Amino acid sequence: MSAVWRAARAAVHRRKLQTFVIGLVVLLCTATGVVSLALLDAVSAPFDRAFEAQRGAQVVATYDPARVSDDQLIGASTGLTAIAGPFPQVVIEPAGDAGSFLGGRPLTVAGRADPGGAVDQLDLWHGRWPSGPGEIVLAAEPHPDDYDLGPFADTTTVTAGRVTLRVVGWAFSISGSADGWVTPAQAAALHPTATQMLYRFAGDVATRDALKARVAGVATGLPGGALLSAQPYLVLKEKAAAQPGTYLPFLATFGVLGLLVAVIIVGNVVSGAVVSGLRHIGVLKAIGFTPRQVVAVYLTMVGVPAVAGAVLGTLLGANAAQPMLVSTFRGLGFGQEAGTRAWVWAAGLIGVPMIVLLAALLPARRAHRLSAAEVISAGSAPRRGHGLRVQRALSATRLPRSVSLGLGLPFARPGRTALTLATLVLGVTTVTFAVGLSDSVVRITGLGDQAAGQIGVRAYNTDERATTTRTDAQVEELLRGMPGTARIATYLNQSVSVVGSSEPILVNFGRGEVAAMGYEAQLLEGHWIDGPDQVVAPSQLLNRRGLRVGDQLTVVLGGGRRAITVVGETMSGAPGPVGLFADWQLLDQLDPGRKLIPFEYRYQVQVTEGTDLDGYAAAVRAADPGLYSWNDAGDSSFAVVVTSFAGVVSVLLAVVTALGVLNTVALTVHDRRRDLGMLKSIGMTPRQVVAMMVTSVAALGVAGGLAGIPLGMVAHRFIVPLAARAAAIRLPGEVLRVWRPGLLALLVLSGVLIAVLGALLPARAAARVSIAQVLHNE
Amino acid sequence: MVRLDGVRKEYGETAALDGVSLEIYPGEAVAVMGPSGCGKSTLLNMIAGLDRPAAGTVEVHGERLDTMTETGLALFRRHHLGMIFQFFNLLDDLPALDNVALAAQLTGSKAGPARKRALELLGELGIADRRNVYPAALSGGERQRVAVARALMNRPALLLADEPTGALDSKAGEQVMDLLLDLNQIGQTLLIVTHDERLAHRCASRLVELGDGTVVRESALERL
Repeated sequence: MSAVWRAARAAVHRRKLQTFVIGLVVLLCTATGVVSLALLDAVSAPFDRAFEAQRGAQVVATYDPARVSDDQLIGASTGLTAIAGPFPQVVIEPAGDAGSFLGGRPLTVAGRADPGGAVDQLDLWHGRWPSGPGEIVLAAEPHPDDYDLGPFADTTTVTAGRVTLRVVGWAFSISGSADGWVTPAQAAALHPTATQMLYRFAGDVATRDALKARVAGVATGLPGGALLSAQPYLVLKEKAAAQPGTYLPFLATFGVLGLLVAVIIVGNVVSGAVVSGLRHIGVLKAIGFTPRQVVAVYLTMVGVPAVAGAVLGTLLGANAAQPMLVSTFRGLGFGQEAGTRAWVWAAGLIGVPMIVLLAALLPARRAHRLSAAEVISAGSAPRRGHGLRVQRALSATRLPRSVSLGLGLPFARPGRTALTLATLVLGVTTVTFAVGLSDSVVRITGLGDQAAGQIGVRAYNTDERATTTRTDAQVEELLRGMPGTARIATYLNQSVSVVGSSEPILVNFGRGEVAAMGYEAQLLEGHWIDGPDQVVAPSQLLNRRGLRVGDQLTVVLGGGRRAITVVGETMSGAPGPVGLFADWQLLDQLDPGRKLIPFEYRYQVQVTEGTDLDGYAAAVRAADPGLYSWNDAGDSSFAVVVTSFAGVVSVLLAVVTALGVLNTVALTVHDRRRDLGMLKSIGMTPRQVVAMMVTSVAALGVAGGLAGIPLGMVAHRFIVPLAARAAAIRLPGEVLRVWRPGLLALLVLSGVLIAVLGALLPARAAARVSIAQVLHNE
Repeated sequence: MVRLDGVRKEYGETAALDGVSLEIYPGEAVAVMGPSGCGKSTLLNMIAGLDRPAAGTVEVHGERLDTMTETGLALFRRHHLGMIFQFFNLLDDLPALDNVALAAQLTGSKAGPARKRALELLGELGIADRRNVYPAALSGGERQRVAVARALMNRPALLLADEPTGALDSKAGEQVMDLLLDLNQIGQTLLIVTHDERLAHRCASRLVELGDGTVVRESALERL
């Protein structure tokens, strides 16, 4: 074995550049692959991971305490693997001044002695668990870093009726089992109306029907009508998947492209290293190495830099993926769970070296079969085929000879050329897709930004804990008088009941210049509101509620009842939760004389071009300390994540592709050292040598560009609408019409640029080839 | 034609050339001989502008090669030097005609005129019928004739030959010797580096013998 190791070490030492290239290519390809795999894995798994970590409840069931006792509920355990409860449950309605976090919504409160248990182990991410009466922990997604900045710090008490509960902590339930928790004694004091049970089942829980059957199994033997509701975890899982679902098509596309490029380049680099060493293999055989030993030498020679590259690449990829994972999934409540899992590490550390060894083994096996004499002559055997005819045809053209010689080089080694071309095609496909995607996302954001306005204003200052003394009309007048104000709209965000549906619908009652804020401009279908009984709906809401333009609804609020018609569909909704657009007149007709509560409504202000947004927001706060205003522009984390991810991955893949080209040119230079020496001896200048070598791959760059651009465009055309469907929105056509002739020309150049950048280094090395060495020392 | 003055070249601590001074006049045919490692190839490299001296000057065809840039040297070789090598160094991808034409095309000549001149040269060397044959299918002697034609393509002032018969059988070697002799007799200046005394005596009018990097003897030769 020592002879093999010694020979391999000598080969590595002798081929420093090639060893370096193999190591670097494997490193970058591994990093790309690990990032791709980690993101693909994370997209499909974060909910499941967090759900298992918190022992989430597969069903949150509530029972009528008047019909079933706690002992009966504890005894009903058919098909269960874990159970928690019974917990007394009550719905309370906090008083209107409870703060912006609660916003007047009713809260489901459960009585639990502790946050742990066999099911639904809560993540108590701030404060402590209630230890006595008068204390409550509220439910919210974890924001430990932003606690002091968010609305949490302002929400210190919850008053419902005559009871005031002090907020002592914040917790997150992946099961969504309650909006707040108190001690069981406090819950009893609140007169619970239901008993909560949390279940985990044995067997299939993948579908709603399966869960329904299992709940029925548990309820067998309990009094009829005891079961009030059973909320399956699939509802939360689908909701949680909605945002990553938007990313999934992008991540999957980049992931697949990254893996393909990585595998092809590693294969090309490694097999090229073995093929270019065939003569050396013959020499080893001639001096007594057995075929197995020769193969071992080559696998070791390639394996050393490959393993080093795979280890470093896995570390680099895992580190690069981490911030992307966290930023992608922050806000879903399980960002802290995002991490690169063991199988992804294994794929990088074991899978990549295996691919490398496989790529090396195929040509090495050929060397294993051939006799020493055949292997030695393998590199110098006369070439036949199309390559010769192409070279001959090119020599008759009017092109400068260095250029025509360069154009003919790819035909000399068709296999190597095919692999290099494949990587260039994939590289250009990636760049094209990334450019188109970024442009589309910027357009979507542009539409959204225009619609969202640049400044948000509330009549309740959470920082100062003060409310303005101005009426809503006076606030509007104040804002209209501020320098820089262009348009103002006022919204009241209110849930209204829908006749025939158990689920209320959210409506943004607006007045002022709502249509001019950009919403009318992004209408996908129908027309803007021109009467009090008309509403316009964002696509996401239409899809979710199964509505279409032209449908009628009867809504009820505060005793009033009106039939409304959906007259238009927009791409996005007003700031905040997705709701229907309606005119303020509808609110007046439904609930005349309604008293406005300050944190119920907000103002949307669009400023004139060039206005300092932060300065405007500060000026509003200074004009009335009871107003809270903020810069609402640039709230496009989706766009930032997608464009930065697209940028990072495409640059990474472009670099890897350029390295693949570098390797190809380096191998060509190595194979053609004698020819290069001869050409220089008859007067080819260093510049001509560089031109020849660069031309040899620039042509491939053009071909890669011409083939890669349509592929990238097809991917863009297919993937962006797919992502939009995942996000339940429709896109205006202009979002997809991103391709301009100038941009396409630049994209063709991107293929050439990648190829030229990759070729420059070895081309310059070729220009420095010592004629004396290569021609005299045969 | 060639003037070397005190040329010194070292590889590590070994002096390949140690103060060599030499002159070659237009129309001369000079053979350089000596044992392996005596500095023959290094001397040829200096004259061809393939290597630079550590000390001394190299002047060829009135130009100082030791002070030229790489590009300047390439252009100088293109226009004023022809080189023949032991192993021919033809491009395997091109047939004989295009191998020869290549030297002119690098100077910017169009394919048509370059091929016409190449064909003339191949005709003069007696292998015009082999013009479309690739190097791999040519005999050793034929390959060396193609190499000679390529070297003559740009009408060089000086033809450098490095062991031109070293890879040939005796018959092919004889043919190449005749060819070089003919070239010299029509005025081509020749510098031949060789181990082959027959080649030296057949083609050269002067013999320069090197030993340990120095000129140990110069003598006029009677051609056989």
